[in-house]
Amino acid sequence: MSELKSLEEAVLKGDIKAAVAETRKALDAGTDLQVILDEGLIGAMDEVGKRFSKGRIFVPQMLRSAKTMQECVNVIKPLFKEGDITPKGKVVIATVKGDLHDIGKNLVAMMMEGAGFAITDLGVDISPEAIVERTQAVGADIVALSALLSITMPAMPATVKALEAAGIRGQTKVMIGGAPVTERYAKEIRADSYAPDAASAVIEAKRLMGIS
Amino acid sequence: MKPLEIPTFMPRLKVLSRSQALAIHTSALEILENTGFSMDHPRALEMLAGAGCKIQDHHWVKMPGYLAEEALRSAPRQITLYDQNGNAAMPLVDENPYYGTGSDTTFTLDLETGIRRRSLLKDTANFARLVDALENMDFSMSMGNPEDVPVIEDIYVYAFVEMVKNSNKPIVFIADSGKDIAKIYDIACLIAGGPEELEKKPFLLNYSEAISPLRFPGNVVDKLIFCAEKKIPLCLPSGSNAGGGAPITLAGAMALGIAENLVGLVVHQLAGKGSPFLFGPNVSALDMKSSVVCYGCPEWSLTQAALADMRDELYGLPVWAFAGASDSKVMDAQAGAEAMFSIVTSMLSRCNLIHDVGFLEYGSTSSLEMVTMANELVAMSRYFTGGIPVNKETLALEVIERVAGGGSGSIFLTDDHTFDNFMQSLYIPALLDRSRYDSWEQAGSKDLYARCNAEAKRILAEHIVEPKPPEVLRGIDDILSAR
Repeated sequence: MSELKSLEEAVLKGDIKAAVAETRKALDAGTDLQVILDEGLIGAMDEVGKRFSKGRIFVPQMLRSAKTMQECVNVIKPLFKEGDITPKGKVVIATVKGDLHDIGKNLVAMMMEGAGFAITDLGVDISPEAIVERTQAVGADIVALSALLSITMPAMPATVKALEAAGIRGQTKVMIGGAPVTERYAKEIRADSYAPDAASAVIEAKRLMGIS
Repeated sequence: MKPLEIPTFMPRLKVLSRSQALAIHTSALEILENTGFSMDHPRALEMLAGAGCKIQDHHWVKMPGYLAEEALRSAPRQITLYDQNGNAAMPLVDENPYYGTGSDTTFTLDLETGIRRRSLLKDTANFARLVDALENMDFSMSMGNPEDVPVIEDIYVYAFVEMVKNSNKPIVFIADSGKDIAKIYDIACLIAGGPEELEKKPFLLNYSEAISPLRFPGNVVDKLIFCAEKKIPLCLPSGSNAGGGAPITLAGAMALGIAENLVGLVVHQLAGKGSPFLFGPNVSALDMKSSVVCYGCPEWSLTQAALADMRDELYGLPVWAFAGASDSKVMDAQAGAEAMFSIVTSMLSRCNLIHDVGFLEYGSTSSLEMVTMANELVAMSRYFTGGIPVNKETLALEVIERVAGGGSGSIFLTDDHTFDNFMQSLYIPALLDRSRYDSWEQAGSKDLYARCNAEAKRILAEHIVEPKPPEVLRGIDDILSAR
């Protein structure tokens, strides 16, 4: 499958033009859509993740690869039948109530999207009630919460409690992150997982979904 | 012969030309006029509209450049911070750098175990006491977000109380909103002896942050207006870090950060014309591997030196800066190198109020040993910045003739000139070790971390902070217990 090899290369390099062209070429050659997605695109992003974890590439390169992948997905998406694409998991992500910081949260969302998760980004300053509502509407597998300030951290346990009260904690995992957040805090507030940065957030999300 | 009287040149760092400074300033004004900013505060919006800004969608503001220029003219060019006994302690004018700790770390390196653990109220107390004792540390910040505060909404009030009880030096404080800042203000009034006394001799300065790019949350503007009205000095950086809240290139990151500072300044001067405002955007860089905001990087030192140049060329307002911090997780060679880099360059560029001394782990961990080490690094930098006095006494031609031309056995070390001058002429370290190998070994082969640890422990055991009067302490308790 040399055509997917060049597609993978283009995603790795973050060459959007070449990657889109390679995607079209693979389609013209009759390659299966799911194969293009899984082996060409998500496969490339797995490799990007590995290279990033080893410090061989930098954040902007990783994000360019993610953007490249997204552009390629846009090419093949219309060709899938409704419901044919199965994401690795559905994630609702938000910065908690009272907190307006979003750089870290946006990084996590982009990385997860690149890894094949379906992301619903609610934005910043989101109340527990709104998070519960959207989690139910989307049927999210994971709720990812971010806070930068010590003083807004209590909105995290409040959100966990709201998810419990709504009775959807059984089917929804909660992961948290942000500068003042620690692993111990995650345990204290009964969150399922803590991730110190965007790359480990993807690893944690996969772990929560029971995939590699 | 006429005695030589040559003024001593004090070593000085410049990083921007006037045309560079003007270009960055003009770009900041362009951002305000063309891009605009988001203001989430009804009263501020009203004031801005009244002053000539255009408001779109009830929150997006475009500001004519002249408003920024006017605000720059009405803000005072000198801010003096007093100690808690009412003595002038920190005249923030362009040739005076002052160093102090930082705030909001999640962890600290435990002094006894060396283990990184969550910050507690007693740590805020210890840092304040250490600062109180150290000669080259001029002001306190909380250093931590204590895990053990009884009421999380009052975390900054509790931290402030620990600083007040454990130090009499000036305090730079954090608050969350208009609510807790009012409590902190009430406590400050108790200490100063009333609102008028506090206004006349402020011993505190508020550090608040807007959010880059170009966002001004309501709670932040509440504090800004509160300080403007009460004439509490304040600074309002926004974290326009290269690659994070701002463009990756330093010039653009500075222009954005300065634009944000100018927004704060305009609202501030509209709410309290002539109230004191410390300028400074905090332009560091995002690490391109870990995405942390760097505290040991050359970028931040470079942008704040540039800001000091812009102060000299254009703004005239004293500037806010950082130094003595590191991205290292432990106090090792990296921590020493990074701490010294920012300490000496912030001094050489004459930054004014310099915080974050004692940070490790990109501002996530505090270290009493780091502060103790930095105290010495500041002294070393002060010596260097003092330059080389050149006069008859220091040229010492007579001494040279006396010793070199003297009989055998005549050495400089025994000459009176040496005895009279060695203390002022040389820098004499306290913690930096220059002992001969054998004595160092006999003293336990201790590295600088171990020596700073021992020194910090000694100070905390021995230093006595002049206590606050009982009625002030009772008043503080009343404010803390009021809900």
